[in-house]
Amino acid sequence: MWCVADGVGGWRDYGVDPSQFSGTLMKTCERLVKEGRFIPSNPVGVLTKSYYELLQNKVPLLGSSTACIVVLDRHSHQLHTANLGDSGFLVVRRGEVVHRSDEQQHYFNTPFQLSIAPPGAEGAVLSDSPDAADSSSFDVQLGDIILTATDGLFDNMPDYMILQELKKLKNTNYESIQQTARSIAEQAHVLAYDPTYMSPFAQFACDNGLNVRGGKPDDITVLLSIVAEYTD
Amino acid sequence: MLTLLSMFYYICLRRRSRSGTRGEALTSRRAVESGQRAVLPVSVEVEQYAKEVLDFSSHYGSENSMSYTMWNLAGVPNVYPSSGDFTQTAVFRAYGKWWEQCASTPPPFRCTPKSFHSQDYIELGFEEPVYPTAVEVLETYYPGAIVQILACSHNPFSQNPPTDVRWEVLWSGEPTKMLTPQARQFSPNIKHINFPTNLLRLEVNSSLLDYYTELDAVILRGVKERPMLALYKMPVIDISDLSDSEEELSDLGGPFRQGGDGKQGNGYFDKLPYELIQLILSHLTLPDLCRLAQSCKLLHHHCCDPLQYTQLSLQPYWARLSDASLGHLQSRCTLLQRLNLSWTGNRGALTLPGISSFLKACGLSLVCLELSCCHFLNEACLEVISQTCSELQELNLSSCDRLHPQAFTHISKLTRLRRLVLYRTKIEQTSILNILTFCIELRHLNLGSCVRIDDCDVVASMLATRCRSLRSLDLWRCRNLTDRGLAELVSGCRMLEELDLGWCPTLQSSTGCFQHLARRLPRLRKLFLTANRTVCDADVEELATGCPSLQHLDILGTRLVSAASLKKLLRACPRLLLLDVSFCSQVDMRVVQELCGLFPNVAIKKSFTQ
Repeated sequence: MWCVADGVGGWRDYGVDPSQFSGTLMKTCERLVKEGRFIPSNPVGVLTKSYYELLQNKVPLLGSSTACIVVLDRHSHQLHTANLGDSGFLVVRRGEVVHRSDEQQHYFNTPFQLSIAPPGAEGAVLSDSPDAADSSSFDVQLGDIILTATDGLFDNMPDYMILQELKKLKNTNYESIQQTARSIAEQAHVLAYDPTYMSPFAQFACDNGLNVRGGKPDDITVLLSIVAEYTD
Repeated sequence: MLTLLSMFYYICLRRRSRSGTRGEALTSRRAVESGQRAVLPVSVEVEQYAKEVLDFSSHYGSENSMSYTMWNLAGVPNVYPSSGDFTQTAVFRAYGKWWEQCASTPPPFRCTPKSFHSQDYIELGFEEPVYPTAVEVLETYYPGAIVQILACSHNPFSQNPPTDVRWEVLWSGEPTKMLTPQARQFSPNIKHINFPTNLLRLEVNSSLLDYYTELDAVILRGVKERPMLALYKMPVIDISDLSDSEEELSDLGGPFRQGGDGKQGNGYFDKLPYELIQLILSHLTLPDLCRLAQSCKLLHHHCCDPLQYTQLSLQPYWARLSDASLGHLQSRCTLLQRLNLSWTGNRGALTLPGISSFLKACGLSLVCLELSCCHFLNEACLEVISQTCSELQELNLSSCDRLHPQAFTHISKLTRLRRLVLYRTKIEQTSILNILTFCIELRHLNLGSCVRIDDCDVVASMLATRCRSLRSLDLWRCRNLTDRGLAELVSGCRMLEELDLGWCPTLQSSTGCFQHLARRLPRLRKLFLTANRTVCDADVEELATGCPSLQHLDILGTRLVSAASLKKLLRACPRLLLLDVSFCSQVDMRVVQELCGLFPNVAIKKSFTQ
């Protein structure tokens, strides 16, 4: 199982480190999985439980985050996913996207998010229930590439560019996967700071009647995994 | 010669394995092979973390979460070797002497043996039964609470019902106070036992600690083969172990049963007034009384006088109490008023016939019955209690978490109840409403962590109309009490002195509920608003104005309280003893130190996670 979570940056104004919420959320997910307190086919359950644990912390956590959880079930050869917000994943088979997450947005540039708001601001802060997460199950095959990333990637690189990069991946060893993931992230980073580039984000903005050009500077996390034979 | 040599080898290896570093210690299993296989059996030292938490008496966390719950004690450590207040550890519900100071806490039982310190316990199951060689407890915050470690002969994972359950004390000690809250690995020298075990019990006493103790993991080490005794120190024979032995508790009938006529030939004892001998005997513990009863007819008569048994705490003897021993006590407990059976009777030791026969004989004048963690209780038992003990004023069923929800309806027949503890039980809405309809004399009610109560507002409103003399109410971790319920409660129950609303997330300060509370409850001495993120300066200031008798206040985990309002509170409440401002982001360590300097009589708590 792996997951990405993208803390919402606006919390800096409250003097809150935006990574605290997303970081604690991910650590809690990790613990639930390590201790076997989860059902592989129900990643939404993991997200719900983790979110609930954040509320149980003595520390008054504040913040919000998107989250995307992907579980690869070794026995059923299935991929189970839960996605809340605009992070997401792609499943690529023989150079084509065969399955992907849906982006969940309330409106332009405002993804669904889990959050804990400061008292009094509950109405002003977007807060979605973890149950609102989109879940899916998908049969995978050997050699399928699964790319999971935050919106920082998808907003700056269209599918064809990602697929192009993935084509370069010949080996399934750790180094070359690591290398590809890095090069995708780096390329997205370069594009994000290109003021003339017509990024997917800019295109989407135009569709929403905003005249925007260039990339979208944002945090970029890319996880790359390949379905392979299980060897102990 | 060869044998001696191999023994020597074995000891060396064992010693080396014990002194291994923690890195080594974390490998799940390590074989310590003896030098010469042909002579000694292969002694494999198994090292295991707890597989499952089987039972416990209390915890800080919520019933449907992991944070600060006892369930965290199973498995590998999450925090050690770090120190601090972390969600991933096991935390008990109380610490220090704060809880004992409250009016809701009953006075201790007379004649509790001095060696019995335990206040809370946890039982842990391990995968494989072993002859223990070491027990290690990773304590990650305010260590020093563990006072006893016991091992049980019964395998909790076996399919067979428990028979001939034996408990042996591996280690016991006094409660201690460490100078720092720093983590430590506690590995006392344990007594070696002659049966394999995979069920350990830790008993704690947190009364000397400055804050909640936190436990991270427990390691049981041991060998699978019965070790040759010569290799070990002879077990130290502990006087207290012998003194409480089953035979003595069950002797109680004894050979002198008929001997009431011991009027002559007792020397000076004949000259002492009856009452004086009774007074002297009243200082003895139960095993001492039983022992003395065997000395002569006169003293036997004295030791069986029901006046010696108006208060009886069998909790210290939980490991040995059975239907039989209760039966032996029956004839002398006819005037029993206070009975403590907490922790007793589990794994088949007490049964319905045993307890009901005892209560029918001795329960008629009972006013106080403590039954915490008594998993032998079922609906029929509660029915017997409600029918027999009509004088009952105090009933404690805390952590009887296996008791069926239906069973609680019988409590409503105990209309004289003044104190009722239902912490961590499965009581449901209808039963509690039923109880409140009939038990209108309630003074103290604990509904902490009663997760099956669906609408606490209705319960609060019922309390307000029926139980107007309520002094203390514990709603710790109630998830559905709102400002409406609280407003009704404080309007109806104006005598309230203690109110625990810790971890009640549905109470919002913005409704004015806490200020309303402060204005309505002038007698308030204890208020817990733990982890209510909405508690603000205005609330604290209203408490300062409205509740001058305040002694204990917990506002852990709010970002909205400043040092200024705390100062106002500390000035206005001269009786304040405890103030918990942990994780209040505006109140940093510097502020706490300043306040501590200004108000040295108040224990101001500021927990940390590093």
